Amino acid sequence: MFKYVLKRVLISVVTVLIILAVLFTMLHSMPGSPFNDEKITAVQRANLEAKYGLDKPLPVQFVNYLKAMLSGDFGVSYVIQKNMPIASLLRARIMVSIRIGVQAVALGTLIGLLMGIVAAMKRNSFLDTFATVVSVIGVAFPSYVFAMAMSYFIGFRLGWLPLLYSTADAARSTVMPTISLSMFSMATVARFARTEMVEVMGSDYMLLADSKGISSFRLLGVHGLRNALIPIVTVLAPLTVELMTGSLVVEQIFAIPGIGSLLVSAIQFNDYNVVLAVVFVYSIMFISVMLIVDILYGVIDPRIRLAKEDAST
Amino acid sequence: MKTWKKILPLLLALLMLAGCGAPAAQETVPVPAAPADVASADTAEDGDYKVLNVGRMAELFDMDSTIATEADCLEVISAIIEPLFVTAADGTPVNALCASYETNEESTEYVFHIREDANWMNGVPVTADDFVFAWRRLVDPVTASEYSFMMEVAAVKNATPIISGELPIEELGVSAVDSKTLKVELDHPVSYFLNLMTFPSFCPINEAFATELGSEYALGADKLLCCGPFYMSAWDVGGNTYQLKKNPSYYDADKVNLDEINFQIIKDPQQTMLAYENGTLDYVRLSGDQIVKYQTMDGFTRIEEGYLWYLSPNLNPKSEKYSCGLENENLRMAIALSYDKDVICYEILQDGSTPADFAIPNRLAIGPDGKDFRETSPLYLQTDKAKAQEYWEAAKKELGVDEVTIELLYDDSDSTPLIAQFLQSEIENNLPGVHINLKSQPKKSRTELMQNREYQLGLTRWGPDYADPMTYLDMWTTGSTYNYGEWSNEEYDKLIADANGDLANRYEERWEALKQAEALVMEHAVILPVYQKGTAAMVRPGITGLAFFPVGVGTIYKDVDVNF
Repeated sequence: MFKYVLKRVLISVVTVLIILAVLFTMLHSMPGSPFNDEKITAVQRANLEAKYGLDKPLPVQFVNYLKAMLSGDFGVSYVIQKNMPIASLLRARIMVSIRIGVQAVALGTLIGLLMGIVAAMKRNSFLDTFATVVSVIGVAFPSYVFAMAMSYFIGFRLGWLPLLYSTADAARSTVMPTISLSMFSMATVARFARTEMVEVMGSDYMLLADSKGISSFRLLGVHGLRNALIPIVTVLAPLTVELMTGSLVVEQIFAIPGIGSLLVSAIQFNDYNVVLAVVFVYSIMFISVMLIVDILYGVIDPRIRLAKEDAST
Repeated sequence: MKTWKKILPLLLALLMLAGCGAPAAQETVPVPAAPADVASADTAEDGDYKVLNVGRMAELFDMDSTIATEADCLEVISAIIEPLFVTAADGTPVNALCASYETNEESTEYVFHIREDANWMNGVPVTADDFVFAWRRLVDPVTASEYSFMMEVAAVKNATPIISGELPIEELGVSAVDSKTLKVELDHPVSYFLNLMTFPSFCPINEAFATELGSEYALGADKLLCCGPFYMSAWDVGGNTYQLKKNPSYYDADKVNLDEINFQIIKDPQQTMLAYENGTLDYVRLSGDQIVKYQTMDGFTRIEEGYLWYLSPNLNPKSEKYSCGLENENLRMAIALSYDKDVICYEILQDGSTPADFAIPNRLAIGPDGKDFRETSPLYLQTDKAKAQEYWEAAKKELGVDEVTIELLYDDSDSTPLIAQFLQSEIENNLPGVHINLKSQPKKSRTELMQNREYQLGLTRWGPDYADPMTYLDMWTTGSTYNYGEWSNEEYDKLIADANGDLANRYEERWEALKQAEALVMEHAVILPVYQKGTAAMVRPGITGLAFFPVGVGTIYKDVDVNF
């Protein structure tokens, strides 16, 4: 197990390095610079480039950047918050995005599981059809449609919840963004849960357990769900990262200071360091989540754990 | 069903938990209350506590007065750290931190007396050394400020060699005679010098405070030392809100009406209007396509900006590739007269933009006669399709061709593509034989291409940096960086040199020279003006004193009052 994890970590490090190198090259080949190209003179440009080390050859800049990163220095923002160390800039934004993302996944998974289980148990009944319809809507409609609808009707018309995100009122103002973002996960999880539960419930071992007299709750929760969870966990992993990294449009609609809108602004303004830092954070998050999921497989399904142990010996 | 009964309450409990939860980790900066709460609570209970809620489209990029360039930032800096002068409603500079001043006969030396009762919020008086420190910081190559050229525009001695690193910053022509007396030496007189002094780039900075914070200076609300009508009470750095509160130690505090200003950054124009309509925000800017929809709503206010949009022909191309006949003046004149500017402004844009028949926009600069430059100058290159065709005939003969093909370069943002397409159809219809090929590029690319002179005809804009026609006119001198078309005219160069040199303090003659310069640019169709940008804002009825200046600090919050 340990060797396996170590190998995965090493591969991840190389992956991140490659991502950064490619991104670095792409950013610097984009037209324009982080500065006000329309107006600055040649002398000013020279001063600015000297100040930020942008006059050095690209490979040298890249190596310097990596060296700084190892000591936790992600550089400073050139545009969005001039001269602000990016670590501070990101910290607050990441917390906001993660909070809303985790809330959305939790809500979506919970409701999705519930819907899926109920649909599986009451197959072909009205509840089943209802759950399917809701799932289709959740998958078909983009999250910002829900966001705008809720923002207008609940936020603006009824005034039940704040229209815009506010740090002081974080709890109430994250409800609508959370719900709009959770729709997709809820729909996906519901569909997977239903399919898997139907399959699991029709299997031999469930029949055996039932005939042994195990209570229906234990039957469902321990024997049924655990088996159905594997594909759901597969899907949840990238979904979580996707949500944590921020849905740009939802962020824009509710004026949420999250990572998604930071990345887009940074690209628009050629704020190189911010783009690199955000992509780096994304990569780390994605890779970690995949690694965790892989380990979780082993926990949930002993067959996988044993197979891995066999393979690694 | 049994399982249902067990699961359902659990689920509901979990849903309730989703609504609460620990507050997200924050910087240790005080956080403003949600604007809606403040607006309703405070104005209702304590009728004297005045709050203004402003909507912004972008983050606050920079609060360091020597580095900031964005309009939003300049407005806020000027509200918390006053410059020597501020702009009055009629556009003239009036005393702020400056109590009085003298100047020598040639107007190459200014002595400013700083107010005795001007203090920083930590009790320390505002001194001349604060100005010296800030001005040196502005031109220091280490700061690499994008606005360092303002010191050159102000013609302060040695500004240019210091910016390029040839001289140390101590050689800048600014010094502290004593703690409240600032002396400035200029290379030549600048008739709009006091106007320049309203620019936040010339604001003072407390040296002890800034040096102690080092690179952290201005990177947070508690990392700024203020002396203006307001101070920064909260700044959710990296977040979406910031707040100003009335500065009790300001020398003129009893003239300041507002107690609190909350700024909320919303990038979506639709959401911005929702926030305005439900009372969360009181003053918001409208995006171009919202203007038609909201123009009948209470509070709709038109704003004329200083941006001039024009076509820049490459009339001295460096290679065959960029040569298409625009070297010929008659062809340029033909094109200039061939498109209907009214349609562009009133049917395509519909955002308050007005047709431009000039190079110096309306309400940019006031002359020695007390009148706006535009008021006492003629209009040029007005649409005239018949005349356009005459010029085209003449051009055809001179060039010896019946057809020309020109590539029109433009930004792919906002309504610019629509304008480009319209120009194409107008030119091709009214000048049969002229073919326009459209080339759309992202703004940064478009700018780069024009700076490298790699284009034929470009649709571009220029915003004024200071309130004098020179901010436009010095673009077209021989060899100027912004002379994209590489026009060169001896008479023009002389007029500009005189205006900056010999005529610098002979204000009436200088004004005349500037008018002649504009006439030259227009008569030779060096640029083909299209429109002067307009925009609009929603200003809740009950707000007074909110003025909009096209140059420098856009709005002076000291003068604003609310009575909802």
